[in-house]
Amino acid sequence: MRLRRSALAAALVLVALLVQATVLARLPLPGAAPDLVLVVVVGFALAGGPLPGTVTGFAAGLLADLGADHELGRTALVLTLVGYLAGLLADDGARSRLLPLLVVGGAAAGAVTLYAAEGILLGDRRITGEAYAAAMTGTVPYCVLLTPLVVPAVGALVRRLDLDPLRR
Amino acid sequence: MRGPRLLLVLLLLTAFTLTVLDVRFGGRSPFDALRDGASRVLGPVERVVGGAVSGLGDVLGGDSAEQERLRAENARLTAELRRSDDLERRVAELDRLLGLREVADHPRVPARVVAAGSSFGFASTVTLDAGSRDGIREGQSVVTGEGLVGRTLRVGPTTCTVLLVTDPGFTVGARLTRQGTVGLATGTGRGLRYELVEGGRVEVGDALLTTGSDTFVPGLPVGRVTSVESGATSLVTTAVVEPAARLSSLDLVAVVVEPPRSAPRAPLAPAPAPAS
Repeated sequence: MRLRRSALAAALVLVALLVQATVLARLPLPGAAPDLVLVVVVGFALAGGPLPGTVTGFAAGLLADLGADHELGRTALVLTLVGYLAGLLADDGARSRLLPLLVVGGAAAGAVTLYAAEGILLGDRRITGEAYAAAMTGTVPYCVLLTPLVVPAVGALVRRLDLDPLRR
Repeated sequence: MRGPRLLLVLLLLTAFTLTVLDVRFGGRSPFDALRDGASRVLGPVERVVGGAVSGLGDVLGGDSAEQERLRAENARLTAELRRSDDLERRVAELDRLLGLREVADHPRVPARVVAAGSSFGFASTVTLDAGSRDGIREGQSVVTGEGLVGRTLRVGPTTCTVLLVTDPGFTVGARLTRQGTVGLATGTGRGLRYELVEGGRVEVGDALLTTGSDTFVPGLPVGRVTSVESGATSLVTTAVVEPAARLSSLDLVAVVVEPPRSAPRAPLAPAPAPAS
C-alpha cells in the first residue's frame, strides 16, 4: 500500500514538474504563472495526511530546486511546510469543495511570502516590493484557479489506490 | 501525530542545510553535479515535451497570420518613416544597422524554447533545446531578430537555461542611440529599468543598444523607453524600458556562441588626396 502510494506521489510530482516547465510557465499570462507543483502537493496532502504531505512536499521542492536558478533547498523548505500544514487539514478536506480552494490560496500566499523571506535573508536581488506584489496578485489566484481541476483528481487517484485514505 | 512532526523538523532542517551549503560554496557548489544530472535526465524529456507543446502554443497564445502580416507591414512603414526623417534619426538608424551588422558577423546557434522557470513568479528564465554539444557556453548573448533576449546561465549537454532581460538578476550596459549616453539596464520582472548616472536626458521612444562587454555583443537592440521618471532631487534619471524582443511569445532564438574579444573594427583609411 505504502509503496504504491509513494510511486503515485513520485509520478504525480514528475508530471507536475514537466507540465509546469513546458506549458504553464510558458503561457503568455499577465503577471506570474500558476504553480502546479504546489497545487499537486496540497492535493496529495489533503488526501493522504501530514506524513505523505511532508515527504511529497520535500521531494517535489528539491526536484524543482535542481532545475531552478536559485539556492538548493529553498523550494524544498517551502513545500515541506506546505505539505505538512495542508496534511493537518486532511480530515476536513477530504470531501469538502470549498476547503481545497481556501487551503491552496493560503498555501500559495504563504509559499510566495516564505520564498521571498528566504530571498531577503540570502540577498536575492529578485525579491523587490514590486516583484512580491506581482507574485501575490499573479501566482495565488492562478493556483486557486487550478485547484478544482487538480485537487479532486489527485484525491480520486489516492483513494483508488488506497481504500482508506485517511488512515495513518 | 509525533511521527509527522518529527519528520517535518528533520526535512526542514535538511532543506535549510542544503541552502546554507549551496550559498557557502558559491560558484563551485558540490551540488552542481546534482544539477547537472537533473538537466541530463530532465533536459531530453523537456526537449521532447516542450517541442510538442510549442506547436500547441502557437495555436493557443501565438499570433495569428493577420497579426503577423500587420506587424511586418508596421515594421516596413516604420522603416519608411525613418528614411524620410531628419538627419539625427538617420544617424541613429545607421548606428543601429552598424550594430546589427556586428552581430551578423558572429557565429550563432539557432535554438527553440522548450521550457520556462518561474520560482513562484520571481524568476524569468527559459530553457533552450541546445547545449554544450552545440558549442554553447555559460554567459553568451541570446538574441532574436528583434533584439537581445538574455544570456545563457547554466549549460547542460543538450539544453541550456537562459536568464531573460526582464529578470531582476539581469544587468547590461546600454547606450542611448540618439544621445550616446551610457547607463545600466536592469530587469524588473515586467520590463527593464535604465539608469543614467550622468544626469543625461532621456526621452520616451529612445532606443537602447548594448555597449558590449565580455558577455554581450555590442550594438544589440535592448529595448525602447516607454516612460521617464526623473526625480527633482535625485541625480539619477530612471527610464522604464520595454524589451525589444517579444518575450511573452518566445520560440526561435539564436545564441551568439563566440563572444567578441574586442569590438570588431576596421582601420580608418586616410582620405585619398585630390588629384591635381
